Amino acid sequence: MNTKDELLKILSLKLRTIFGKLKIDFEKLQEIRLRMNAPLLIIYENVEYFITEEAKLVKNPTLAVIVTKNEIRETMEYISNYSLYAFEDEIKQGFITINGGHRIGIAGKTIIEDDVIKGMKHISFINIRLAHQVKGCADPVLPYLINEKTDGIYHTLIISPPRCGKTTLLRDIIRQLSDGNTYLSGKSIGVVDERSEIGACYMGTPQNELGIRTDILDCCPKAKGMMMLIRSMSPQIIAVDEIGSKEDLEAIDYVIGCGCKLIATVHGSSIEDIKSKPVLSELVQKKLFERYVLLSNVNGIGHLDEIYDTVGRKLYADHA
Amino acid sequence: MLITKIIGCLLVIISTTGMGMFFSNELRCRIEDLKELKKLILLLRGDIRYANTPLPEAISGIARRHNGGYETFLSKVSSKLNELSGITFSQIWKEAVEQELTKTSLTKKDKLHLVQFGESLGYLDKDMQMNTLDLYINQLEDETLELSKTVKEKAYLLNSLGIMAGIFISIIML
Repeated sequence: MNTKDELLKILSLKLRTIFGKLKIDFEKLQEIRLRMNAPLLIIYENVEYFITEEAKLVKNPTLAVIVTKNEIRETMEYISNYSLYAFEDEIKQGFITINGGHRIGIAGKTIIEDDVIKGMKHISFINIRLAHQVKGCADPVLPYLINEKTDGIYHTLIISPPRCGKTTLLRDIIRQLSDGNTYLSGKSIGVVDERSEIGACYMGTPQNELGIRTDILDCCPKAKGMMMLIRSMSPQIIAVDEIGSKEDLEAIDYVIGCGCKLIATVHGSSIEDIKSKPVLSELVQKKLFERYVLLSNVNGIGHLDEIYDTVGRKLYADHA
Repeated sequence: MLITKIIGCLLVIISTTGMGMFFSNELRCRIEDLKELKKLILLLRGDIRYANTPLPEAISGIARRHNGGYETFLSKVSSKLNELSGITFSQIWKEAVEQELTKTSLTKKDKLHLVQFGESLGYLDKDMQMNTLDLYINQLEDETLELSKTVKEKAYLLNSLGIMAGIFISIIML
């Protein structure tokens, strides 16, 4: 099933008709924003557009079709496969992963009990983020991450602001290291996919290709997951997305102490930015990571800016 | 001439008695159908409570295991749900109740309750879903109990009425 078909199946009948008529390349569609009583909006090739009733892309919000409460409710019904109760845990986290690996972010009124989010009602905002795999996007980075002497890799931290392609890069690094490539033989990789973003597992099956030697612990807190994987699956490399908590730091210490290699991503714009954050600065000071990969979107999403080693020596730079 | 009249009267009595027996049998069948429906809802509740199974999967699972009067109803709901064709659950459920339960002995009221039950499935959190299922199961239990209490008397009444109506018509005809 292609992206268009996967997408149409989860939209309300009215939106389905509009998107069915839309003349765009669905592979380049990044986001669809549904907000109650607000214009229908998409992000297509990094540009924001509104959609009219006649399925035309416009820049003027007053011409756009308005999303109603019923359309949000109907869309939620199809997203949850007619069974919202089956996605309670996902709703607590604020997103649902659907067939095809697409992520549906939701917001509404949260139900709190004893300071813990118990659920969400009156869901009024939906963000459909379409999954895109960019195979080969790790090609320019990989030579810098591989330690030929040990037939292994360096502990790597990918630093990037949001929506600059760090998860996409991590995904391709995992796939290439797991399958093996010209630089090194295939490695056994354990992925802790706390937000189902890397493997985008749907009913246990990864929707993204993560390589033949990859085990995925889906929807598991990173710190606990890293420990679990080491004990249960004996991986050579552990990969996690968006580290940042104190617990993550302890688990990273444990992973590195066990002789496992680690690839992680973090939100940030530079090493200095990371150093200014209380928990993450410890990571840099302790010199736990041997490679820092910096991304930006200056020249399009996923632009590789710089690569540094442990002591901050620049190994690669492209400020084009 | 008299023989023809007697044969005519006999035919009237037999047919009205048959009608009486048919309606009394319908009462018993309704109880059986309600019990069967309760069993299915209990299975659905189990699937939702213990395995968090989504409705399309749970209903198709029950349809596979079930081969009674609700088989076509369940199969239709499950196949329509799996199509994801842009029809809401309550619409699919309502359509299936109206079209696929004609061979059962459920009354209009039973079907209306079943349609209303379908309207509250799916779009609720688990606790609310359980409450809805429990409420409907209780409703079915009450209905079955009430019917069981009176079924003997009602069946006797319908049988007698059938015979009496036949005799009454025969007397008029004679």
